[in-house]
Amino acid sequence: GDIAFRFINYVRSVRERQLQRKLRHHQNLSWQEIAESYQEDKSKSLGDSQVVVCDINKEMLKVGKQKAQHLGYSEGLSWVLGNAEELPFDDDKFDVYTIAFGIRNVTRIDLALQEAYRVLKPGGRFLCLEFSQVSNSLLSRLYDLYSFQVIPVLGEVIAGDWKSYQYLVESIRRFPPQEEFKAMIEDAGFFKVDYQNLNSGIVAIHSGFKL
Amino acid sequence: AAAAGGLRRAGWRLWRGGRGGGRCQLSPPHRTLQASAVLRRVSDEQKEPLASSSQQQFDSHPTNHQPEQEPQGSRPSYTGQGGQESEDFESEEQLQHRILTAALEFVPEHGWTAEAIAEGAKSLGLSAAAAGMFHSDGSELILHFMSQCNTKLSELLEQEQKLVQLGEAEKKPTDQFLRDAVQARLRMLIPYIEKWPQALSILLLPHNIPSSLNLLTSMIDDIWHYAGDQSTDFNWYTRRAVLTGIYNTTELVMMQDSSPDFEDTWRFLENRVADAMNMGNTANQVQSTGEAVVQGLMGAAVTVSN
Repeated sequence: GDIAFRFINYVRSVRERQLQRKLRHHQNLSWQEIAESYQEDKSKSLGDSQVVVCDINKEMLKVGKQKAQHLGYSEGLSWVLGNAEELPFDDDKFDVYTIAFGIRNVTRIDLALQEAYRVLKPGGRFLCLEFSQVSNSLLSRLYDLYSFQVIPVLGEVIAGDWKSYQYLVESIRRFPPQEEFKAMIEDAGFFKVDYQNLNSGIVAIHSGFKL
Repeated sequence: AAAAGGLRRAGWRLWRGGRGGGRCQLSPPHRTLQASAVLRRVSDEQKEPLASSSQQQFDSHPTNHQPEQEPQGSRPSYTGQGGQESEDFESEEQLQHRILTAALEFVPEHGWTAEAIAEGAKSLGLSAAAAGMFHSDGSELILHFMSQCNTKLSELLEQEQKLVQLGEAEKKPTDQFLRDAVQARLRMLIPYIEKWPQALSILLLPHNIPSSLNLLTSMIDDIWHYAGDQSTDFNWYTRRAVLTGIYNTTELVMMQDSSPDFEDTWRFLENRVADAMNMGNTANQVQSTGEAVVQGLMGAAVTVSN
């Protein structure tokens, strides 16, 4: 949901900029035309852009919808229940596929990658934000300490749920490191696969193109 | 499982380098054959120009049909040892070149930006997201355009040289040769001249300077090469520096020029080239005058000492 909101904001800002550029070139618009162009803007500020949010869990989708309403995002968003290993979409449908902190929880990551490849249009981009391995050894030790000693405790104290946070930390450790995940993405058929480490590897963004 | 994965990856890469369609065999049968749709087209188009030996073997194979019954084992025999990886990169780069070339059409409207690249990608049937492959400031588009222009210039000069060698044309005097070469190269900017100042400013960004400088010097090299420059001494550097100066200043003048067919620019160019020629003579004159003065002084010193 969050990425969807950011994308919508981005599209809106790009379109605004484009509209401003167009208006700058037309020096002698009548008031009628200007009013029209602003009205048009209101009703389709997104143009043809659409975002589909998909999750396997109905509750998560409900939370997302509520958040969207609360923040005022109404048009251009659709919410679909689906499994990343078997997406309910046709081939070659999307320009961009993003998954944030989700692919770690998929049982067969390779299937999810293959599905991502399938539903992307030629030229489309796959982006994945996920926890990854820390390269710096000192930071890695501090991070391990924090992960195993502090996070589950906080989970118990704040949410009353030690087990979920233990699972979280363990699943982070089980996820393949950056290079291995990059190879998996290439296996699925993506080209120009690259990754960017954030916070020296605690989190990484992987990107690939369907060419 | 790891070995199978590795083998699969290697086998798939081999196949990808070839006709690109058979990948479907590696994955569950219900997947469509859209895999590598774009790259397959690229490798089809590039069939003739590519001279690598491994490519020759492919010519006999069917291109657009996915031979479902082809056995997995035969795949490794198609490509040579060194052929597979380089073919993959060739295909990606070729596709990138195609996108950039297509994007040039949209430059007059969108400028040298990622938007032009996105439009170019769309015109090839790709998603606009493909523009993400390139640097976001549009610099790759500019560099691609410059290198294309340089190639065109080289070809032009090559042809002219051939004509001279065949005796069908007169060999031009150096100053005219330089004038014509620079003019020909600058004329290639004319369709994009409105947005070219933007391009120049992007090229001045620190991370772009090495590449743009590279392209500039190789172009100047080319021109002097075809002008018949055989020097191996210090002249080599001065000649290049002088011509670079002429080219850059003329380019800047062209940006401001509003005369019909850029007459003012070409006149400016003529004057600069003439200046450069004279400078060469003046340098010689200065040198010989200097030598004469020194000799005179020596003579005077000898006379005085006697």
